[in-house]
Amino acid sequence: MTIEEAKFILSAYRPNGSDAGLPAFGDALRMAAGDPGLEAWFTRSRAYDEAVARKLRQIVPPPGLREAILAGARASDAQRSRAPGMAWIAGLAAAAALVIVVFSMKAPARPETGNAALAAFAINDMVHEKHGGRGEPASALVAELETKGARIPGADRIDFEKLRSTGCRTLSFAGHEVLEVCFSRDEAQFHFYVARRDRPPGDSAAAAPSFITEAAGAAAVWSDSRFDYAIASTAGVAAIRRLL
Amino acid sequence: MTNEAFTQLVDANYAPLYRFALSLARNGSDAGDLVQQTFFIWATKGHAIRELSKAKSWLFTTLYREFLRGRRRDSRSSSIEDLPPGGSELVAEDVDKVSRIDSAAVMSALQTVDETFRVPLTLFYLEDMSYQEIADALDVPIGTVMSRLSRGKAQLRMAFERADSPSSKVLPFPNAKGARAS
Repeated sequence: MTIEEAKFILSAYRPNGSDAGLPAFGDALRMAAGDPGLEAWFTRSRAYDEAVARKLRQIVPPPGLREAILAGARASDAQRSRAPGMAWIAGLAAAAALVIVVFSMKAPARPETGNAALAAFAINDMVHEKHGGRGEPASALVAELETKGARIPGADRIDFEKLRSTGCRTLSFAGHEVLEVCFSRDEAQFHFYVARRDRPPGDSAAAAPSFITEAAGAAAVWSDSRFDYAIASTAGVAAIRRLL
Repeated sequence: MTNEAFTQLVDANYAPLYRFALSLARNGSDAGDLVQQTFFIWATKGHAIRELSKAKSWLFTTLYREFLRGRRRDSRSSSIEDLPPGGSELVAEDVDKVSRIDSAAVMSALQTVDETFRVPLTLFYLEDMSYQEIADALDVPIGTVMSRLSRGKAQLRMAFERADSPSSKVLPFPNAKGARAS
C-alpha cells in the first residue's frame, strides 16, 4: 500500500472513531501508526472532519417542524382509523388515486391534502400542540376575529407573507405553509388556520364550509381562490357555525 | 407503533434528517417538506419494520429516495468520468478556516458539491449510518462510497477556498464625495 492509497482510505475514516473496527481501515491505520508524516496528515484530516461535522451538528431544524411532523402523523392516523374494517375500500380508492397520480403527476407526491385531512390536522394541532404567535399583523387578525358579528376574513384581507414574516405561528401541512392564530368569541376558544395552496391556473373554485366532528373537537373547512381555511374548536360545530 | 414510540423516533431523528435534507434540497422549506414526507411514509408503511434498530437507516434511505423521486433529473449532474481532479493537500490552516466560519456557511459550501458526492459526504459527516448502510442507501459498493467521499471532500475544500477568497468578500462601497450617511 502506498502513502496515497493509505490517505485515500483514511480520508473515509469518520471523525468519531466509529470505523476503528472495520477491516477496510486496518492496514491504513497500521501504516499511519508507523509513518510520522502520514500520521500527522491523518491527525489534520480528522481535526478537519471533526470541525466540519461539528458545524453541521450546529444546524437546527426550523421551529415548528417537529410539531408539524407529529400533527401530520396524527392526522393520517385519524384518517385511517375513521373507517375501521373498510380497508378494502381504502385499498381500492388508493389504487384508483395511484392511477390518477401516475397519469397526472408533475410534482412529488404529498400526503393527502383534502379538506377532511386539513380538518383532522387542525383538530390534532388544536388538541396536542402549544400555540401562540407574535407580531402586530397577527394581533390585528385576532382582534378582527374576536369582533362580535364580524365575518371571518378571506384572501382579500389576509396578507399571508406579512403575517408569516412578522412572527405569526407557521406550520406545514402536506407541503404547504399554514398560519395559525387563536381567538375567542362568545366565551369559546377557536383556532383559525390559513393554508397556502398552489392552485392550477384558471382554478378559482371556492368551496363552501364543510363541518367535521371528532372526539377531540370539531372543525369547519372551506376555500377561496387563494387559501384553504379551517377553524377548529372544542366548543362544537354549532359554535363554529355561528362564526361563519 | 404507539404515539409515544413515534414521538421518540421523531425526536431522535428529525434533526439529522433535516440536515441531510438541507444539503440535498438546498433550501429550508423543501428540506422541511422532505423530512415531513419521510415521517409520513413511516407513519403509513414504515412501522411494519420489525427491527427498530434499522429505523434510522430506513428513514435516511427513504428521504434520499423521496428526494430523487421529487426532483427532475438535472442535466448538470456530473458523471463519475466528468470529475475534477482531487484538490490540494490538506494543511493545518484548512482546519482553522472551517473552525472560523459559521455553520450556515459550511452548509452553503456543502451544497455546492456535486450531488453524486454530496450525498455520501453529508452522511459521512452526520455519522449516523455505517458504511454498509450508506452503501445500501445509495445502492453502490462500499469502495464506491469511499471514492465519492474522497472526491466530495476535495470539492468541499475548494468551496471553502472560494468562499475565503478576497473576490468573494463584500467590499464596502466607497463613499461618493459629499454623500451623506443615513
